[in-house]
Amino acid sequence: MTVTATIEETIAAAPRRARFERATATLSEGRWIIPAFLVFWFLLVIVPLLMLFAYSFFETRSFMTVYTPTLNTWVGLFESGRFEVTLRTLRIALTVTAIELAIGYPFALWLAKGGASKSTKAVVLALLTIPFFLDMSSRTIIWRAILGQNGLVNTVLTGTGLTDAPVEWMLYTEWSVHFGMVVTYFPTMVLPIFLAINIIDDSLIEASNDLGASPLQTLTGVILPLSLPGVLAGIVFTLGPALAAWVEPSMLGGGFVNLLSNSVESAYTALRYPVVAALSTFIILLLAALLLAMLLVARRFGDLSSTFKVLKG
Amino acid sequence: MSAMRSDTAAARPPAASRWGWSPHWRAAGKWGGVLMLGAIYFPLFWLALMSVSERPLSGIPLPFSLEHYAALFRDTAWVEPFAASLVIGALVGIVCAVVATLVGRAMPQTRRPGRLLVLFVLPLFVPGMSMGAALFIFTRSFLELKLGFWSIFLGHFVWAFPFALLIILVLTTRFDHRLVEAAADLGASSWRIFWDIEFPLLKPAIVGAGLFGFLLSFNEVLRTLFLRGTEETMPVWNWVMAASQQSQVPIIFALATLVLLVTMPLLAGVFWLLFARLDRS
Repeated sequence: MTVTATIEETIAAAPRRARFERATATLSEGRWIIPAFLVFWFLLVIVPLLMLFAYSFFETRSFMTVYTPTLNTWVGLFESGRFEVTLRTLRIALTVTAIELAIGYPFALWLAKGGASKSTKAVVLALLTIPFFLDMSSRTIIWRAILGQNGLVNTVLTGTGLTDAPVEWMLYTEWSVHFGMVVTYFPTMVLPIFLAINIIDDSLIEASNDLGASPLQTLTGVILPLSLPGVLAGIVFTLGPALAAWVEPSMLGGGFVNLLSNSVESAYTALRYPVVAALSTFIILLLAALLLAMLLVARRFGDLSSTFKVLKG
Repeated sequence: MSAMRSDTAAARPPAASRWGWSPHWRAAGKWGGVLMLGAIYFPLFWLALMSVSERPLSGIPLPFSLEHYAALFRDTAWVEPFAASLVIGALVGIVCAVVATLVGRAMPQTRRPGRLLVLFVLPLFVPGMSMGAALFIFTRSFLELKLGFWSIFLGHFVWAFPFALLIILVLTTRFDHRLVEAAADLGASSWRIFWDIEFPLLKPAIVGAGLFGFLLSFNEVLRTLFLRGTEETMPVWNWVMAASQQSQVPIIFALATLVLLVTMPLLAGVFWLLFARLDRS
């Protein structure tokens, strides 16, 4: 009698105790992990970025950093031909981004809604993601052996008699820098656009067709506005690295194509840290300004609340 | 171009143009991207081929020779940077997997996961060079610490963590919490719930996060340049050799090929794990 009663009591108490334990467990776990990590992340990411900005208001005199606030570094930033470098960087970065968008958007559209099978999708997505994990310098330097004067392309061209002399403009020119960057930053453009198009409900597209919209109207009226957040994300992820591109211009530019990143590096080697800070801040501000402009333009075309839907999804 | 192509397709019955674009346009989109993928992967193939060529910078791979591999193993200058990259990569991978699991499990239960996510993936938006410079100025000039492996590690962690977190979140946001509640109702301790239920379900993402962390760190060069102090990692060594001495290039080809031979199967494995798991759930 008493034994069964105890057992019954224990059984009845078990869920209650478990629920209590679970409550304390989630409280104790969930409560300290996120705040602790937030503090750590703040120190590791936000504070250095703020410090970078603050440091650009100091200056260097005879290899020593003078810690008095001044605008000298910012004023001097665009002297000695750096204005030209800035324009060149902007031009190359924007051209590369535009080319990526022109090739990447149709590709993402095909991949998401063009009838590709599930396994094709998986393979292409994997192929697009793998380059993130490969060594940039060896991936880029091999282009020298392909595009160079005695490289693969020229060997084929002269061997087949298409050209008499090796083509020289393929390496160590702005062309090769553009080319190298377009190849490198393709995945960063396609992946966000694909994710945005992929979550568009097929029934929306069908409804548009059923209501008599032409394919072009469906594209511009349904697919394009709904995929706008993905396009914006793709542009950010491509434009950012392109503005700060360093491996491609130094390896494929052969010293003829100087971009902002080369200025950052030479200031770093010359121990002029405030200049490093100002240039790095400038790159971030440039990116932010271009982003803001795009957001304002995008607002006229699409519903931005869908941006947040993508962020949550 | 799309306008003209789509207009011709508009005349077709709706079924043929179901996705709102013509077959031509579809083919153009497909082959443009396939061409780009070719441009990404052909150099890797060429790199491997030229690493066994006698004249790696020429246009013809023949005649073949293993001379550069022999030179690679005679030369020991690359061993130290290579080992350093391995150790830092392994550390970054393990720490990323553990921290991303802890944070990724707790995040869906917080009040504003969206805002936290934006904050945690912020380093993805900052160009690598700027982030490297920011960490450099903060640690070296402001805190006046001596840079070395620890600063490379921190820089790589900031770079790899957002990726690791995103992978973990893919599974934790789909996680069925009724499983945990059922286990708790049946009297399992919180450690047992994690180990017997959550961990097996999250394992592909945790392994993926660790491997991604390792590989991202192993091949990182932009941030390392600022944060290395006097230390060298393999990508930096590759970079310095390629930039200064043309004669070292064949050795880099051989080394990069060996790294690729290890990296590619690892990556293929991760993707297989992730996609197979996502398919089942």
